[in-house]
Amino acid sequence: MTTYIIRRLLLMVPTLLGTTIVVFAISRMAPGDPVSLSMGPGGMLDAQRAADVRQARMHLYGLDKPVHVQYAIWLGRVARLDFGDSIKHHRPVIDLIKERLPITLVLNLISFVIIYAVSIPMGILSAVGRKRFLDRAGSVMLLMLWSLPSMWVGQMLIGYLCGPPLNWFPPAGLSSNDAGQLPFFPWLADRLWHLVLPVFCLTYAGFAYLTKLVRAGMLDNLRADYVRTARAKGLSNWAVIFHHAFRNSVIPVITIMATLLPAMFGGSVIIERIFSISGMGLLAFEAVTTRDYNVVMGVATIAGFLNLLGLLMADLAYAMVDPRISFEAVE
Amino acid sequence: MNGRSGVFKFFLFLFLGAIILLQVLSMIQADRLYEQLNSLIGRLESHDTSRPAWSAEKTIATTSPVHGEYPGDEGDWLVFVEIGEPRTLNPISVESSLESRDICSRNIIETLFYYDQDYDGVKLEPVLAESMEVSKDGLEITVKLKKDIWFSDGVPVTADDVVFTYETMMNPEIDAADIRNYYENVKQVVKIDDRTVKFIFKELYWKTIESIGLLDVLPRHIYRFSDPKQFNNRRSNPVGSGPYLFEKWEVGQQVVLRRNDNYWGKKPKIKKLVFKFITNSSAALQALRSHDIDTMEPSSEQFYELSKDEQFKKDFNMLLYWRPSFGYSYIGWNEAREFFKDRRVRLAMTCAVNRQAIVEYIQKGYGKIVTGTFYIYGKQNDPNIKPWPFDLEKAKQLLDEVGWIDHDGDGIRDRDGVPFEFKLSYPSGNETAERIIKMIKDDTAKIGVDVTPDPVEWSIFLERLNRRDFDAAFSAWGGTIESDPYQIFHSSQIQGRGNNYVGFNNAEADAIIEQARRALDPDKRYALYHRFDSILHEEQPYTFLITRPSYTLLDKRFENVKVHKLGIDSLEWYVPKDKQRYK
Repeated sequence: MTTYIIRRLLLMVPTLLGTTIVVFAISRMAPGDPVSLSMGPGGMLDAQRAADVRQARMHLYGLDKPVHVQYAIWLGRVARLDFGDSIKHHRPVIDLIKERLPITLVLNLISFVIIYAVSIPMGILSAVGRKRFLDRAGSVMLLMLWSLPSMWVGQMLIGYLCGPPLNWFPPAGLSSNDAGQLPFFPWLADRLWHLVLPVFCLTYAGFAYLTKLVRAGMLDNLRADYVRTARAKGLSNWAVIFHHAFRNSVIPVITIMATLLPAMFGGSVIIERIFSISGMGLLAFEAVTTRDYNVVMGVATIAGFLNLLGLLMADLAYAMVDPRISFEAVE
Repeated sequence: MNGRSGVFKFFLFLFLGAIILLQVLSMIQADRLYEQLNSLIGRLESHDTSRPAWSAEKTIATTSPVHGEYPGDEGDWLVFVEIGEPRTLNPISVESSLESRDICSRNIIETLFYYDQDYDGVKLEPVLAESMEVSKDGLEITVKLKKDIWFSDGVPVTADDVVFTYETMMNPEIDAADIRNYYENVKQVVKIDDRTVKFIFKELYWKTIESIGLLDVLPRHIYRFSDPKQFNNRRSNPVGSGPYLFEKWEVGQQVVLRRNDNYWGKKPKIKKLVFKFITNSSAALQALRSHDIDTMEPSSEQFYELSKDEQFKKDFNMLLYWRPSFGYSYIGWNEAREFFKDRRVRLAMTCAVNRQAIVEYIQKGYGKIVTGTFYIYGKQNDPNIKPWPFDLEKAKQLLDEVGWIDHDGDGIRDRDGVPFEFKLSYPSGNETAERIIKMIKDDTAKIGVDVTPDPVEWSIFLERLNRRDFDAAFSAWGGTIESDPYQIFHSSQIQGRGNNYVGFNNAEADAIIEQARRALDPDKRYALYHRFDSILHEEQPYTFLITRPSYTLLDKRFENVKVHKLGIDSLEWYVPKDKQRYK
């Protein structure tokens, strides 16, 4: 097991390196550059001056060097865990990520908990009552939710629930104007009240997938011989479902949790835009559209790393929960 | 390991997740306590220094403000909305954006002079300065500062601060390339005494005087630096002499300013200014409806829809007014392309664009056709020039004259075997642009010209303009009350990455632009610009499209809201005691 982990970890290095090379190459190949973007079409009184200023700023950011040299410099810095400064914000990339990550984490954490808390019971219920009303109605409902585009749902929710006459939820932001003066619990309530709609938009489409996964697993197991044996033994329905069928069908669900690691880190551009939340999604999106190379590279590298780590964890989790899989045998 | 431990671990993870969440919450709580404490301490400290250190001799200024106050009751907040979060609140940084200026200028940072809001030309009213004296040859101006003025921390504003700001801006290692351009023509800035500064110019240029007038004055004792990086990295905590103080910047959410009770000048009535960041304009409108924000600038369509909503109009003022900053939209014809070399072709294209329809159908009737590059209600613009009418017959005739005739009968004109087909580039994601361009495509098809709409991502769009790699481009310029067309229409700006990317080259226009730059007498200048305007009208380097009024939706509780010739001014507003919403 240990050798396997070490080998996987060592394998991560070239994979990560390859990822960064690809992202680096793509971002540099995209037309336009951060300097001319920030200079915009106007503001320059004189063409010669504009060219000089441009040159000076390209030099300042090291963009006038050949691309492979730039990559080497970048790699050298990253090896020292320094992701460099954002060209747009004039601040260390890591600071920007630190600023945006908490809200993204909170949103994702709440959403995932809700998705799991709803989907697992739903899956079990619809498997147990297969082809009966609850299963059918539930499937239709979830599939309908799954197929609604979140940008439309978000706009509709804002349009109908946020203004007069209903005024149920705030349309934007994370806290009310006077939130700074509130004591802790009212403040927390205010924050949660602001999170309701974004969380709803992040979750509703996720139910279908997970519910179907649990339902399929449960169905496979409920038909299995050992379940029939258990029933024949005279075990209660409850014991059969939870002690036998559920425990086996939850394996794939647990293992896909490992892939949540990178998912926690990334935000949703659409949801963040609609609800004016400045999280990781908008950071990455804006970095791409403004060619803020260091931020693009920083986010991509961290996301890539977490992805690889998540995959490793998923494989290990398989071995942990499923005794049929063992990495020792591979040796 | 067996299945039981797998399930057990699953719930263990959930449990751990919950614990982490609680931990995060308690950390946030600790942070908030710390912040509140800090702001309390900050407030106490600023109270201590609220009286200028030198006040002993100048007590009159602080005890009874000589400059008076705006009328109305004190109190309440004014909550603005910003479409994006500013990258910096450093007023002279290159990264300073529209949002940064909305927040800082006039509220926190003050200038030497500011435009007279009720005059439709450049007329500078003293702010920090008392007077400006222009030498006979126009190459030197002497600015005298007011007597009793101080920064928010009580330190007096002196000539040293003015010189410091200028020198910082001109320091090549400071990230102020954009703003530096406006002061390129300044040779030297000399401090005469504590209250007097002399600016010496390289050459005569009317715009430089305006730029000097609009010079931000930064407190030297606060912004002083030994390493330029120190200044460049100073993004927050702006300090100046203005009527508001910076209170806090909550990343991703808002910037809050509070009133400077120790302000040297005319005090505004509103206690707090809040700038909320809302990226989604329909969410902003909902926030306005539910009184989360107090004012916003809607799109033409939103304004049109709301103007029919009686309920809305009961709670909100709908202001419609003209101001120069909006600018105009246009289509630039790349004269380096064979198609657009001849002025008659460009004129034909203009005649084929139904600008009146754009105003009516796309702008919902709110808008005006522009004929030139100047602000339509400014003194530079020649109001006698009438826009070319939408006239397909004339367009056809002009194209025939130049030799663009449909020889092969395929419905598209051609000359020397080249069909008249070109791409019209525009920044993608701009819905208005897209609709305008579709209209243009339909109309030009009727005169045998094939236009391919070409949406391009903004960064690539800019790059293409800079490299002159386009046929025709839809874009827009922002405006000022008086502008200098040198940057976009002088032939020297065709080279390199200048802004004359259509390649407009006209000897007479060049001469007029140069002459007007040296004309300090406004009337003489206006006459020259009128002449320039008519050259543009004849030559049509651009098809000038439209400009539109500005709209502001404002909560009805605000009073003393006036529309000036240059727009609205929130410093004048107040809320009567019984209508105040915030404490």
